[in-house]
Amino acid sequence: MKTLLSAEGITKSFGATQVLSGITLSVAPGEPVGLFGPNGSGKTTLVNLLSGLLLPDAGTVRFDGKEITRLPLDARYRLGIARTFQIPHPYPALSVREAVRVALAVNAGKRKEGGGTREDEEGPTEDLLARTGLFNQRFVPCAQLSQGCLRRLEFARALACRPKLLILDEIFSALSAADEGDLMALLRAANRDEGTAFLLVSHNPPLLKALCRRILVLEEGRIVRERTV
Amino acid sequence: MRNAAPSRAPKVSLRGGTPPARSPWRGGGWLAAGIGLLLLFPLSSPDAFFLDVFTTGFLLAAFAASWDVVGGVSGQITLGHALPFGTAAYACALLTSFAGWPLPLAVAAAVLLAAAVGAGIGALSARLVGPFVALLTLALGEIAHEAAVGHTFFSGPGGYAWGGEGGIPVALPWRDAPPFWSYYAALAFLCLASFGMLRFSRSGAGLILRAVAGSPITAQASGVPIARFRRLAFTVGSAFAGAAGAGFVLHVGRATANDLSLELSFQAATFAAVGGRGTIVGPVVAALVLHVLFQGLSLPPSARVLLYALTLLVTLRFFPGGVVGTARDLASRLGGKEGARPPRRRGRNRPGEGTP
Repeated sequence: MKTLLSAEGITKSFGATQVLSGITLSVAPGEPVGLFGPNGSGKTTLVNLLSGLLLPDAGTVRFDGKEITRLPLDARYRLGIARTFQIPHPYPALSVREAVRVALAVNAGKRKEGGGTREDEEGPTEDLLARTGLFNQRFVPCAQLSQGCLRRLEFARALACRPKLLILDEIFSALSAADEGDLMALLRAANRDEGTAFLLVSHNPPLLKALCRRILVLEEGRIVRERTV
Repeated sequence: MRNAAPSRAPKVSLRGGTPPARSPWRGGGWLAAGIGLLLLFPLSSPDAFFLDVFTTGFLLAAFAASWDVVGGVSGQITLGHALPFGTAAYACALLTSFAGWPLPLAVAAAVLLAAAVGAGIGALSARLVGPFVALLTLALGEIAHEAAVGHTFFSGPGGYAWGGEGGIPVALPWRDAPPFWSYYAALAFLCLASFGMLRFSRSGAGLILRAVAGSPITAQASGVPIARFRRLAFTVGSAFAGAAGAGFVLHVGRATANDLSLELSFQAATFAAVGGRGTIVGPVVAALVLHVLFQGLSLPPSARVLLYALTLLVTLRFFPGGVVGTARDLASRLGGKEGARPPRRRGRNRPGEGTP
């Protein structure tokens, strides 16, 4: 089976505290994978290591056949690994539309050099805003968004690079039932329609079972179980 | 499975990404009226002293706006912004007086050198945040200032020297030009430089810089190479500061160590804080008003420094958004939420909006 993301022997310590020891995991293209574990088991540290926010003490991370162990967060995003944060950090001075435009424009890299109309250029932004249910809030400053809208914005930002892999850190926590349902539908649509694989970190086993095909259980910095749903 | 390989993301431009409430043309009537009054001022036969105060004010206003590109738009608080200003001033003086370069060539080289200095500062400070950027730039600025005070470029007979406290004269082809010539040249420079900096702050790069300033981690998680954009802000801001420095040395006729002083950097930061950080126009207006007011009153330098410090303290305590930020807050409170306003030119409705 082809592997999209693989991590081998990932180890991380903070001072004398070893948080992760010898983590090995893989995600196939288009595969929905869950990551479950109690508080302090090292889930967020693992997410930070896989997304490039932290560097491991030992071990390697490969993505799409390339070694990316030392690649930073922004370079991994441009490769197609997008992540969301457990606690969103919105841009205080930017509107929702501007926040999405930042992600779209950076990812477009070499932006168009002449040609095309402004209407053509705005299409992707507005499509993404409509898709994530943020179109009506597009001129609202990010700092004024509700928790549900902030999660949607995180999702829009992550989808802007048309990711091959989404890493979602507790994106369903502290959400209303309606927001949770909407985000689940979005995630399923991205997986089904665009073949986006995801690694979903959650404390909620029923939610993981509903969305994932495989669930990894992390305890005390080690993957202790793996369940196929 | 995947329908198609996730190749390139859709092309998109950031231009015009702000709602009309923040259009650079908003308040154009006031701007035109202000420029009109400034154009007419020399016709009222003012004292040469006031013409000089205004001319210096225009150059300081451009310098304050260049600080705002770095400290306001990109959020990298610099206390060494006099470094590119003074570097360009010294380069201009040395290249014309020592090397005998033609003035336009010397000015162009001075601006490029200032941009290079800015790129260097940007590279050194790109991974730093908050007070560490301020401390690094403060240290670099002070090193350059002390070097300029202590270095003598040329010593002639009779104790005559270039460099050190006395500075270096610049070879000017227009020694006897009337004072309003400098006034209009400086005003034209201020208009052009402000327009250029405003366009930059409203461009795609400017939007990304505001994102980096607001939340570096989210910007990085959106694919922004933040170090590269911070370098860009320092380079662009320093190029404009260098242009202001070259203009300043052409006006006063001599580059001195004061052009590299902490006081000058502090003044620029004060103007930006009082006018409204990240707005470009705010620092320009604040610099003009405060400089003309404090200088026009012929106060001694120590009293001016005290007044600048007091103004900064009052602003930070009571109007942390500066004049422009406070005015925007008031306008949005009186006229409803700014974010709820629809765009003037765009914003087509889409079927099914609001549902994922």
